[in-house]
Amino acid sequence: MVMRRQDLLPRLASFLSSMELTVFCLIVLMILTVACTLAQVNLGIHMAVEQYVRSFFVWWRPEFLPFAVPVFPGGGLAGGLLLVNLGMVQFRRLEVSWRKAGLWIIHFGMALLFLGEFATAFLQVESHLTIEEGQTMNYSVDPRRMELAVIDATDGDADDVRSIPTSLIKERTEISDASLPFALRVQAFYENAELRMRGSGDPPSMATAGVGTGVLVRPAPRPLGEEQDLPAALIEPVARDGRSYGVFLVSPNLGAPQEFVHEGRRWKIALRPKRYYMPFSLTLKDFKHDVYPGTQIPKNFSSLVRLLDPRSKDDRDVLIYMNSPLRHDGLTFYQASFGKDNTLSVLQVVRNPSWTLPYISCALVAIGLLWHFGMMLRRTLGGLS
Amino acid sequence: MSHRKLFAAVFVSSLVLAAWPALAPAPRSDFDVEGFGRLPSLEGGRVKPIDTFARNTLLMIRSKQTVRVDGRSLSATRWLLDSAFKPETSDTYAAFVVDDPEVLGLLGLAQGKGRYFAYWQLEPKREEVNRQAQAADAVPSGARSRFQNAVLALDQRMTSYERVKNTFMPSGRGDPAAELSSLHALMKEAMGALKSGKPTKKASQLMGSLDSSMQAYQFLAEAAAFKSAPPKPGEPEEAWASFGESVLRPGGALDLHPSATLFARMASAYRAGDAAAFNAAVAEQTAWVKANAAKAASQARAEALFNRSQVFISGMTLYVIALLLVFASWATRREDIAAAARAVAWAAFTVHTLGLLSRTVLQGRPPVTNLYSSAVFVGWGAAFLGLFGERVHRRGFAAAGAATAGFATLLIAHHLGSTGDTMDVMRAVLDSNFWLATHVITVTIGYSGTYLAGLLAIAWIVRRHALRKPDPADDKALVSLTYGVLAFSLFFSFIGTVLGGIWADQSWGRFWGWDPKENGALLIVLWNALILHMRWAGFVRERGIMLMAVFGNVITSVSWFGVNMLGIGLHSYGFMDSAFWWLLAFSVCQLAIIAIGALPPRFWIQTRQADA
Repeated sequence: MVMRRQDLLPRLASFLSSMELTVFCLIVLMILTVACTLAQVNLGIHMAVEQYVRSFFVWWRPEFLPFAVPVFPGGGLAGGLLLVNLGMVQFRRLEVSWRKAGLWIIHFGMALLFLGEFATAFLQVESHLTIEEGQTMNYSVDPRRMELAVIDATDGDADDVRSIPTSLIKERTEISDASLPFALRVQAFYENAELRMRGSGDPPSMATAGVGTGVLVRPAPRPLGEEQDLPAALIEPVARDGRSYGVFLVSPNLGAPQEFVHEGRRWKIALRPKRYYMPFSLTLKDFKHDVYPGTQIPKNFSSLVRLLDPRSKDDRDVLIYMNSPLRHDGLTFYQASFGKDNTLSVLQVVRNPSWTLPYISCALVAIGLLWHFGMMLRRTLGGLS
Repeated sequence: MSHRKLFAAVFVSSLVLAAWPALAPAPRSDFDVEGFGRLPSLEGGRVKPIDTFARNTLLMIRSKQTVRVDGRSLSATRWLLDSAFKPETSDTYAAFVVDDPEVLGLLGLAQGKGRYFAYWQLEPKREEVNRQAQAADAVPSGARSRFQNAVLALDQRMTSYERVKNTFMPSGRGDPAAELSSLHALMKEAMGALKSGKPTKKASQLMGSLDSSMQAYQFLAEAAAFKSAPPKPGEPEEAWASFGESVLRPGGALDLHPSATLFARMASAYRAGDAAAFNAAVAEQTAWVKANAAKAASQARAEALFNRSQVFISGMTLYVIALLLVFASWATRREDIAAAARAVAWAAFTVHTLGLLSRTVLQGRPPVTNLYSSAVFVGWGAAFLGLFGERVHRRGFAAAGAATAGFATLLIAHHLGSTGDTMDVMRAVLDSNFWLATHVITVTIGYSGTYLAGLLAIAWIVRRHALRKPDPADDKALVSLTYGVLAFSLFFSFIGTVLGGIWADQSWGRFWGWDPKENGALLIVLWNALILHMRWAGFVRERGIMLMAVFGNVITSVSWFGVNMLGIGLHSYGFMDSAFWWLLAFSVCQLAIIAIGALPPRFWIQTRQADA
């Protein structure tokens, strides 16, 4: 037994550093790329990437099985293995010499690129900032993720927000937290719901307080493709003494938050796209949509914003336009979309601490490839003459 | 004659041959059609000569740049003149190509006589075509049937033609010059009546007739196919106006735009068959734009010359000649023919380069801006690489690869060009010369390399099967060339792909989004990397590398064109439908070559000869 275990490590090491594994991973990555591209036609880009690339296995659930089975390595596994393989090959096989310096640089750059992609997958946070001309915003929202916001609105605008992710509402029947002076009972949660105004002949709504009393809710099938879920929940705030404030129907479709008063303080409750607050604000001064003369073909979209950051003493105008984002405080703002007769601008907001890695990697690999192939070309030409 | 002298002589005479279309005198005509074609206009968001607009419109309608009438071939500009000024004649030209049997059925036309039809044949069913097209338009673009695509295309073509007809006069009725001057007089009179202040019966009559004649110009302003009046001095650069718009502008009827008067004179003279008056008006307009919109005028003149020279057609011809000469040199083993082949190939490449440079200068952009120009550039890159390789190994393979790649890509470009303006403006996110010059160029060079490697590999396979005498030195040269080219393409496709990611990071906030086009580029990188790693690990040898290099052709084609066919953001369905079958046929043919290459050695002629 002991012998075998001693055997195992070197064998694993030689497997991990084998060229067979390199080739295998490259082929798997190619297949995944093709599959992910084709799947986009039906699934939409987001789902396809989740299934094939941002996963460790590609899962398949046949009709007759109650659970899904892994049928193919996913992008995470193939990429991870390739990264390990790259490192192992590098140190076990390649000599340290000027002749191999190009390969060292290339592989180091590649490893950075892979690490960058992993880092992006785990660290990148994307959201949208929708802003009208003249409006000032200090938060962005993620329309793909919902949160149950419980807001102490007693002191006017300076909202004091507790954010509860939908995953928690889905799992629990009651949510209580030290920061909340009351508990929230989850009466129901629908991942995707259909709301309808209650007619005269309809049964009473499950909601007993707020606008939800006039609305009927029923679960709907999850949408396919790029369309998003519209969740809904029935939430009942309950005071410590057991007194109920009624059952509220919350959904991003219902618009304004609903209110109740607890111990003299005004509380608001809403299920809404997750918000990310920023320690600075942006004011949209002007949005421009330029077209080529005599056509509707867009030439440029640009947002002139005022950036106000008390901490860094920034108070200046910034022009955000195509291919020219604003980078500030670890966030990057890109011109993404527009609306309302060109008076509304949508900025994509990205926090990605690893955004510089591809730049470095690209430079390294370029240098390495030039070095390596240049040396080989010189040898070939030298050999001929 | 020494080979060097022969090379020079053949090179120069090939260039002269290529320059012929630009130097040749224009077909004789009393009307200054060429001069009219050189006039600048604004259409599709950019300034272009009327000649370009005429060619592109005719290409879209008829899939050709000329139209045959009574056994004569009319130039695109001539066709435009007839359509705009004498539509009653152009309505009888067989200018519409209709292929689809179901559409022919809808039109009540018989299939078989020919695929070209005149507008008057289609006109009775105009409303039905429009109705069917609207119904088809409501269907999402990916889900349309063949008929729906065809009827939509026909509707678009008919609309373009109708807009040309309604650019200067409503469907060719009346005498534009007389009407414009009577409007001018009417306007003057009305202004006088208005100034005198008293509302008389005559004044209100005047206003009534003014109103009705303004309505005609309103119609023209809405229907016009292109803008013919450049901004007057002092006006902003984009303030072009169509004939109708220039009259409708505040004060436009009182202070007529010189271009409006001149085009009206051209129209009336052309209708009346008065060549002298027409030519005089063209000359005056030419002089006016030269003096008042010099930039637009010189741009239009240069582009018209470029159109006339048909460089890429000349290039294609020379590439074919070069290829034939290489074959001849292999068959005869004569060094002088090989030298001539190289000379013609270099001449073809020179012409190709000139065309590419002209486009770059005319557009003021890096050479690759759309699918059309990517084809031109891929061929250019492959030809350059091939000719460079030929200098290293003078055995004709690289020259043959260069000529084949140059010819094939120019042919593809020629077909891609039939969907519209090949120098169209760049949509917002693409409007970045920096990224077009870096990412797009490197990625496209990567395509060039992969194709050239594939072509060399095909040559290697063909030799295995066709050559009677094995020539190890030749084989070795081919293998080393292919390997070098593969390394070259790995470099460019990798750098190009990562630069694309960096561009995406700059414009959309993500480095890599697994979008189909990105995935296509990634596939090329992965495949080239795979070939080189398999070679280094010793999993494949000569033959394996060659077979894999041929498959690179398939991967590159799929990532170049195939991803556009998934139905994401595409407008030119007509072409892409047929392109799909071409892509499939090409891929099958490449797979067949791989299969032949994979046959065991006893199938090779080389070994059979050796055995016998």
